[in-house]
Amino acid sequence: MNQSTIDVEALRRLAIEQPEPASTRILALLLCSAFLVAVLVLVRRGRLREEYTPIWTVVALGTMVLSVWFDAVRMLTRAVGAWTPSSTLFFFGLVFLLTVSLNYAVRLSGLSLQVKLLAQEVALLRQQLGAAGGDGERDAAAR
Amino acid sequence: MPRPSAESLLIIPAFNEQRSIGAVIDRVRATGLDLDVLVVNDGSRDDTAELARQHGASVVSHPFNLGYGAALQTGYKYAIRHGYRQLVQMDADGQHDPAYIPSLLAPVRAGEADVVIGSRFIEASGYEMGGARTVGRVFFQRVLVWCGGPRIADPTSGLQALSRPVVRFCCSDFYPFDFPDIDVLLLLHRQGFRIREIPVTMAPSPPQRKPMHAGLRAVYYPYKMLLSTFRSMFTPRVKLASD
Repeated sequence: MNQSTIDVEALRRLAIEQPEPASTRILALLLCSAFLVAVLVLVRRGRLREEYTPIWTVVALGTMVLSVWFDAVRMLTRAVGAWTPSSTLFFFGLVFLLTVSLNYAVRLSGLSLQVKLLAQEVALLRQQLGAAGGDGERDAAAR
Repeated sequence: MPRPSAESLLIIPAFNEQRSIGAVIDRVRATGLDLDVLVVNDGSRDDTAELARQHGASVVSHPFNLGYGAALQTGYKYAIRHGYRQLVQMDADGQHDPAYIPSLLAPVRAGEADVVIGSRFIEASGYEMGGARTVGRVFFQRVLVWCGGPRIADPTSGLQALSRPVVRFCCSDFYPFDFPDIDVLLLLHRQGFRIREIPVTMAPSPPQRKPMHAGLRAVYYPYKMLLSTFRSMFTPRVKLASD
């Protein structure tokens, strides 16, 4: 019986080193450029505050660099022990998204607390105004 | 800030309670107790605030619904700003009997306790709690003891009297938006506040009311409570500012 052996390491090297098509690079560059433009437009329209932009700018520029310098992704793939550059990108993309989500959950928790404190303060001040002869509480009720 | 007309304040958090709020305030007034009444209207969409005012209560209205715990905390902040020495809290749905207020306040006024809870379960009161809620109550009762807290028969009772230092402490940011439960009791115990229970009887919840922990909340609530009790275990003891 003719038995064939598979050199797993050679197979992995083949997967990592396969050339990426130019169309993929161009698509990645276009998407990153569009993303960067979207960030700038949102800032210009005042719908995204400047302090929230650095992370998205870095992501867009970083992805652009990786599209041009794909060897960096290959090196990373070898370093983390993955088989294909795409799985490396998905893995780090997922880690990034989870981190960003957690960060926003933390920010939302802080904002919720601030909203609660403000609402309580508004309620107490309205009551105080009403008790002092104004009509703060009744005005609020009318609204 | 105007000086209070009484030494104690009764706070009644209310959300869409126009059916019962007037009767609850009237029952409190009928006891002849010397205490001011504050209704914290938690963003009601009905006439709760107007009815409470018509029945002689002071009213603080949240601009929108914040939750039961936040409404209680607004009442605490009001009590601190107006200089009340003790505070009683009761629900707006008519479950709690104001006749128990003197018994709740007595240990606080005598300096024997900082928190007095009106408990349905230290004596047979005939109060019927559903099977799942009973399991939850017993479970959390045990969790509280396992975490080093006191044995409290009725940790979810909303009928309580609090001393001014406790009220001041509960004005901090740790206080939950929704229902204060064993997490707050554990924290108060760890801060050195003395907690006591007295037996009370309560009317059953009005049948038209939507259960507080129905649907997904039945799963979320125990999870959230365990997490916030865990947090309470590690909250360091703080030095309270004096008046």
